[in-house]
Amino acid sequence: MPWKDRYTISDERSLADVDIKWPDGARLAVHVTLNLSLACGGGGIEPADLRTPEAHYSLHGALDTLLPVLDRHNIRLTVAVPAVIAAIHADRMKALAAAGHEIVPNGWRNEDPSLLDRAQEAERIGRATEVLTKISGSRPRGWYSLPRPSDKFATGSVSSHTMDLLLNAGYEWFGNGLADDAPHWWVTNFASRRALLCLPYYYHFDDQFFLMFPAKGTGLEHADSLFRNWRSEFQAQYLRGRCFHMVLHPHTIAFAHRLRMLDHFLTDLGSHPGLWNPTGSALAAHWSSRHPLGELKPSIWQDHPGSLS
Amino acid sequence: MHPLAHADAEGTENRAREAIAAEEGSKKMADLDQELEGLRAAAGRHAARYQVIEDCRWPAGARIAVNVTADFDAMLLRRLLNEPALQLAKGEFGGRVGIWRLLDLFASHDIKATVFTPGRICELYPDAVRAIAAGGHEVADHMWEHRVPAERALEEDHLKRALDALEKLAGKRPVGSRSGHTLSVLRAEGIIYHSHRVQDHRPHWVRDPDGQERMLNLPFHYAIDDAMYYSFAWLNTENASQRITDPERVEEMWWDAFRQQYEVGGYLNICLHPFVSGRAQRVAMMDRLFTRMKRLPGVWFPTCETVARHFIAATTQAA
Repeated sequence: MPWKDRYTISDERSLADVDIKWPDGARLAVHVTLNLSLACGGGGIEPADLRTPEAHYSLHGALDTLLPVLDRHNIRLTVAVPAVIAAIHADRMKALAAAGHEIVPNGWRNEDPSLLDRAQEAERIGRATEVLTKISGSRPRGWYSLPRPSDKFATGSVSSHTMDLLLNAGYEWFGNGLADDAPHWWVTNFASRRALLCLPYYYHFDDQFFLMFPAKGTGLEHADSLFRNWRSEFQAQYLRGRCFHMVLHPHTIAFAHRLRMLDHFLTDLGSHPGLWNPTGSALAAHWSSRHPLGELKPSIWQDHPGSLS
Repeated sequence: MHPLAHADAEGTENRAREAIAAEEGSKKMADLDQELEGLRAAAGRHAARYQVIEDCRWPAGARIAVNVTADFDAMLLRRLLNEPALQLAKGEFGGRVGIWRLLDLFASHDIKATVFTPGRICELYPDAVRAIAAGGHEVADHMWEHRVPAERALEEDHLKRALDALEKLAGKRPVGSRSGHTLSVLRAEGIIYHSHRVQDHRPHWVRDPDGQERMLNLPFHYAIDDAMYYSFAWLNTENASQRITDPERVEEMWWDAFRQQYEVGGYLNICLHPFVSGRAQRVAMMDRLFTRMKRLPGVWFPTCETVARHFIAATTQAA
């Protein structure tokens, strides 16, 4: 498969299920991301976004309720937190890190970087890195840019500079990987083989799109559908031996029937032997050493008049 | 003026007004008649373009024909609409992962599928296009870059480019298309059927607007199209109208659709997208669905081309 700029991020055909090996003979990697962002616009979290009922619930009662449930199931989390939220709730972040979870930035304030110029984006990556380093005692190795409920697309957002800037800032992985359901390489420069590892993300396993989406009031409440999505993906991935990834938001998933549903799901999950539940960085480190970027095939694309290039 | 004369004049005036109103009324009636006739003519012209195959009469032993089809556009439509990078990556899943899983799935059920493939895919996933053909599936046209240009010369150029590219990799020139290409343009390039709109749930003939020639349509319905249930922002829908759902719910709907058509000895065209249905949970769902379908006798999984040739042969014999 030849690489083509602005069409593909990689030239790979995905690894076959049988070629994916996890540490200690584990059968499946289970990666759980806790997103501590709040509903906000493309500009990222504004003061008004911090004064909503959900904003209060998220970092207080919801998190207090959710964490013991996750603990009971021994779930290790990758916490994707807008750096500004991490700064405001530094003690909570320290407690999460002390409990063995990994804390990484979800943007400076979960903004859409395509609305920034390169210098602004670099500055925010730098500042977010600084904030998270100070809180957790070591440099964050992964970066998220997860979707906001008001976004046009349920993928999260990057600019044309994001991957390059993250590599410059020493990042080892990016958390919004949609081109595979296993880790995969995003090639930023074909000639130099410069590439950043992406960990899989897919919105069907992100709670926010099923629980009063896009907003409370008349949004859809399909906790049952979310449960069936998690269960069917987990079962399918357990047979394939690749990755199962889910995203939780405290203010959505900690509420009543939803928490009960999560609890049931994690009970079912925990009854399966051979699961490996790494943090994002542990998953990325394993993949990078085991499956480094392979050979790249150059583009065979031809430009024609009357056709898009 | 005499009071009576006044009354008289008033009466004349009233009669004149009534006469004008009556005339205007009949003119309005005539306008409405004309309107109705215009609509009747439009409906008639429209209806005359379509001729349904009432009784499918499948080959001996087959009670239903199920066309399993895949639209292998990967990220091309996303790119065409200038969507952001992560939307393109979502489409890329279809090329690096999804198509291969669907080919494994079809092979495990001995199903011959039809993969509607844009010509440009040949420059992105040549190995996949070769593998589709090598698996005994039909490689059919899905436009050059997932659009039909408005200018006729460019439209012809795009279709020819797509067919040339697909023929080069598949070893056989496509005879089917899923596109909005002009029927006469398709016919001129040797296309014998298209699989596009739903003028009926049964296969049917579609005449050119001038009524001269016709093309077979093997209709696929949006209710049997994976993207409608799973793809966020599909067809430019707003966030408040998203109703993305889970495979178990879709499995039951599609099973019911299949059962209804099975009972009447009909036809079902299933539209999958590798970037959508190539996801692990959905491959597992289609695996279950095919297993359930195959438990019934007389379920036939031909390519669209096989169905098309079956009808063309039947029509030739009848004539």
